[in-house]
Amino acid sequence: MAETFLTYNALGSFLVRLMQIGTLHGPTLNDLGVLSFNPVTSPDLLQLNYQRTLLPPKKYLLPPQSPILHYAPTEGYTPAKTPGDEILLFGLHPCDLAGIAYLDRVFLDDRPDPLYASRRERLVLVGISCESDEYCFCGDVGVCPTAAAVPFDLFLSRQDSGFRIRTGSRRGEEIISWAADIVGTAGAETRPAEAAETARRICHAVGKRRMFEGSTLWDDFAGRCLSCGACSLCCPTCYCVDVREYGAIDGQTGERVQEWDNCLFKAHGEIAGGINFRKTRQERFHYRFLHKYYGFGPLRDVISCVGCGRCRAVCPVGIDLLELFGEEPA
Amino acid sequence: MIETPVPAVILAMKPLAPDILFFSLQLDTGTVSSNFSFVPGQFLQISAAGAGEAPFSPVNLPGDDGVIELCIRKAGHVTAKLHTLQTGDYVHVRGPFGNGFPVKQMEGQDLFLLAGGLGIVPLHSLLSYLVMHRQRFGAITFMYGAKEPSALFLRQELQDMACTGNIKFMVTVEFAPEDETGKTSCNIGLLPDLLQGAIITAERSYAAVCGPPALYKCLVGELKTLGFKEERILLSLERRMKCGLGRCAHCAVGQDLCCIDGPVFPYSALKGIEGAL
Repeated sequence: MAETFLTYNALGSFLVRLMQIGTLHGPTLNDLGVLSFNPVTSPDLLQLNYQRTLLPPKKYLLPPQSPILHYAPTEGYTPAKTPGDEILLFGLHPCDLAGIAYLDRVFLDDRPDPLYASRRERLVLVGISCESDEYCFCGDVGVCPTAAAVPFDLFLSRQDSGFRIRTGSRRGEEIISWAADIVGTAGAETRPAEAAETARRICHAVGKRRMFEGSTLWDDFAGRCLSCGACSLCCPTCYCVDVREYGAIDGQTGERVQEWDNCLFKAHGEIAGGINFRKTRQERFHYRFLHKYYGFGPLRDVISCVGCGRCRAVCPVGIDLLELFGEEPA
Repeated sequence: MIETPVPAVILAMKPLAPDILFFSLQLDTGTVSSNFSFVPGQFLQISAAGAGEAPFSPVNLPGDDGVIELCIRKAGHVTAKLHTLQTGDYVHVRGPFGNGFPVKQMEGQDLFLLAGGLGIVPLHSLLSYLVMHRQRFGAITFMYGAKEPSALFLRQELQDMACTGNIKFMVTVEFAPEDETGKTSCNIGLLPDLLQGAIITAERSYAAVCGPPALYKCLVGELKTLGFKEERILLSLERRMKCGLGRCAHCAVGQDLCCIDGPVFPYSALKGIEGAL
């Protein structure tokens, strides 16, 4: 389908049309003033010139807590019900789309998870271009040959007078056809994408399998880290979960729940009897570094840092794993 | 493979030690014949309703009869709940998961099975397989170490298998209570000590090891000194596998996942990985 163009003046009408099609979610400020993806009740509330939400959109695909099995004495264990209606998730930056691409590879391709698939199926992804700040190098890790193509149903690239809209799926084309009276035809693209220096440096170092074993930064990080785990909570590609079971108050039934876990927590490397394979914070940083930049399991050798900058922005003690790459010769 | 936990009734339970119970479970035979086959060294996820699920390797070789035997130490939330159950109660089972021991690769080779403490469990299962297919394997030596004589589990069963299967069976304990020393019919010392007297042709042997983490560090060194190649030293690792399906990323060892790529790894795959052993 030909690319279309949405003028800034027509944006409001376009959003109203989207709200007529389905449930619109996007970046808004919540009651505490925190920017997060939320249901949108009015287009005016959308914050489209935003840097980053506190939590990435992975919360729609892997909720912080989600039932996976129910138990009842008569039925035994039965799979949890799958979620409901379509959500139009508006205003996703390329880095967050890359995060979804990574999760898709894990939970749709390599380790198929029916619950993930049903949540993913109901999401319509509407991306939007952005400008990087001091923390991020959004989407540009895509310059590495291992990075996956970024998925979207619609993608809005900012131009001087409006958005150039690309469609990435049949559903995207349908939506555009329903908004045909609002969008126009696109002219030539005026803002070319750029690859960031940080991304090039990471890919270069990873290509040489640099682990920075001798770096003094590890001691520095371990000395400061509070083991709060904010960096992985906010990471669009961190998907470690714990599985717990909660018995109901009736003493008969129960629910098995998967909950976000965190490799920065000491208990993550623990086994029965209290033996721990990652006792020290330094070991936990090594583990996180290995998994972020070198991958593991089916996605071994796939960089899972999408450059969103959340881990750097939220760390209460200013730890930045990317400083390691500063030791890589340019 | 069973993906959603299915019920299994507890046929029998017996204490092996104050904190360890032996369980015999019976799966519905319909379930077993349709989607259940097992390689020794693989593991099952056992659920205690309302408490949760934990990974265990069976002691036996679960077959078409649907009987699963487990040794469970009371060490946490799930195992504590399992210890409160009684004969006739139900648990739930998923699996099997993981790779298990490379039994095809081990054919025609001399085998050294080295078990420390409750690490006896998967090796007992492996030994059952080896005895069942005895003619496919060379000389088999089973070495079993524990803290004290009372912590040597399944000793009679092992001895019986050793007799029927022409297997050299050696036992050692770290210490024996003084008044019992005279009665202890086994060596006093550590597991690696047993290896020193053994006749080994390392180039046509495999070593399969399971025990507490501390055991691996000293045994690997000892086995290498005896000439074992790193890829012929097979270690069964313990991790908290939560899903068993490679999704929860809870059991990663370096870039591998214990539930998919393991739990049995050749030492060559673990060498140099921080936190592997």
